Amino acid sequence: MAGFRRISGRVIVAVLRQLTKLGWLLILPAITLPIWIVGTDRGWLPEQILPCPGDVLHTLRDMIASGELAQHAGYSLRRVALGFAIGAAAGLVVGSAMGLSRRVDDYVRPLFTAIAQVPALAWIPLAMLLLGIGEGLKIVVIAKAAFVPVVMNTSAGIANVPRAFVEVGETFRFTPLQMLRHVVLPGAIPPIFTGLRYGLTHAWIALVSVELLASSEGLGYLLVWGRQMFWLDTVLVAMIVIGVIGFLSDRVLAVVETRLQRWRIDGVR
Amino acid sequence: MNVAAQLRTRAFPDQGQGRLEVRNVSKSFVVNGAPVEALRDVSLDVAAGEFVVLLGPSGCGKSTLLRLIAGLEPEFRGSISQDGDAIAGTSLDRGIVFQEPRLFPWATVSQNVALGLKNAPLSERAKREAVAAHIALVGLDGFAQAYPHQLSGGMAQRAAIARGLVNRPRLLLLDEPFGALDALTRARLQVELQRIWAHERITMVLVTHDVDEAVLLGDRVIVLAPRPGRVSRIFAISAPRPRSRTDDDLVRIRNDILRALGDGEEDGSGGTPIGGPA
Repeated sequence: MAGFRRISGRVIVAVLRQLTKLGWLLILPAITLPIWIVGTDRGWLPEQILPCPGDVLHTLRDMIASGELAQHAGYSLRRVALGFAIGAAAGLVVGSAMGLSRRVDDYVRPLFTAIAQVPALAWIPLAMLLLGIGEGLKIVVIAKAAFVPVVMNTSAGIANVPRAFVEVGETFRFTPLQMLRHVVLPGAIPPIFTGLRYGLTHAWIALVSVELLASSEGLGYLLVWGRQMFWLDTVLVAMIVIGVIGFLSDRVLAVVETRLQRWRIDGVR
Repeated sequence: MNVAAQLRTRAFPDQGQGRLEVRNVSKSFVVNGAPVEALRDVSLDVAAGEFVVLLGPSGCGKSTLLRLIAGLEPEFRGSISQDGDAIAGTSLDRGIVFQEPRLFPWATVSQNVALGLKNAPLSERAKREAVAAHIALVGLDGFAQAYPHQLSGGMAQRAAIARGLVNRPRLLLLDEPFGALDALTRARLQVELQRIWAHERITMVLVTHDVDEAVLLGDRVIVLAPRPGRVSRIFAISAPRPRSRTDDDLVRIRNDILRALGDGEEDGSGGTPIGGPA
């Protein structure tokens, strides 16, 4: 009986903690949403510039029902998936090489830094001339955006694996491959995942940018088109969907990360 | 014959005995552009099955010497050989236990120990048996599936010893293995190490700055002097085993060593106080 009470007490505390967390999360929406509702109701801004929340919700429902939203989101997701896969894979290879070899790092880093300093967006004009405005352009720009943070975090993560652990591998006569598999990669997983998460975020941002500039479908295109048509409800729907997908994809990687690092999570408890 | 010794005989039938020869070894490092002499002309012999302690203040190069023997530092002058073969790089026939346990945090105790056998010429089954046998040897039964962060400092160091021994090396090198542990745990692990050494019948070279530890464990204590590191005196300890800290002979040798180190008269420091001659 006492045990049950203690357990239920603990559950209540946990629930309360979750609710407080949720409460903090909702503070900003709780303030802005009423202002939005009152503002549109009183006509502070013309309806063409700021439609009321009800309209946006209505449009959202319509676009989901018609399949239009899914179609645009599908285009965008496919581009990000492909661009991110290419950029992250290349980033893992280049970052690993830089982290493992002093010489490769010396040769590659200046060029890499120079490329990294030019934002993905600024590559679009040049890339457009070279690649046209087809899918190739979008994939390359997205891949570049994902590539940079993956390289930076992978190379730093691998180079920072403690020398002490590498020495243990040496005393066991590990081959280079064994060293990579059993010492270097496990030791570098946290920073590598940080890089992948940044890479995905950057890829998503780059996608919207490139679709804004050169596309006839996708969520970014939906933004431009809505603005040109003065359908601000469509613009807002696109923004919400972009935000939600970005948030969810980051969460997915976060979950994979904790799965791969059980030993760390157990340590926190 | 015990299980561990049987395993070894089966795995390495014509292996050497764990004899060590260090001849005129010198080693310098470059620190801030200037060469620093860590070891100058160090020579010593370790007999097969002997327990030798390298003792000295910090800066005497004792850890450097151990790393040279391990094969972790390829560049030095002079020669080091095990059973007549000059050492070149690390070898599975020389185990090492560092001051920090250096267990891989992402692997369980049993995985950590098993990693030591990656390149051992054993069947998977023999490897599994060896891992279990060595976890039992250091008294960690029941913790095979634990992660390093779930272990106390003493338990982690036990796991590190199991890992150092799992390849059945003829020579085990220990670099201040108990230096970071509390006094009680340290005393217990010293006794454990004595037991393991008797059980395994292999050569051990232990680096320490703890005089009590040195006289408790060593057949010989080699005192090194610093800057540059060199052999200053060698004490042979013939007290019977298993030894007790309060043994008269040990206390006398301990005091001799403290005097040789130059601080014996002042306060008798250098470790846990032990009972004087009865």
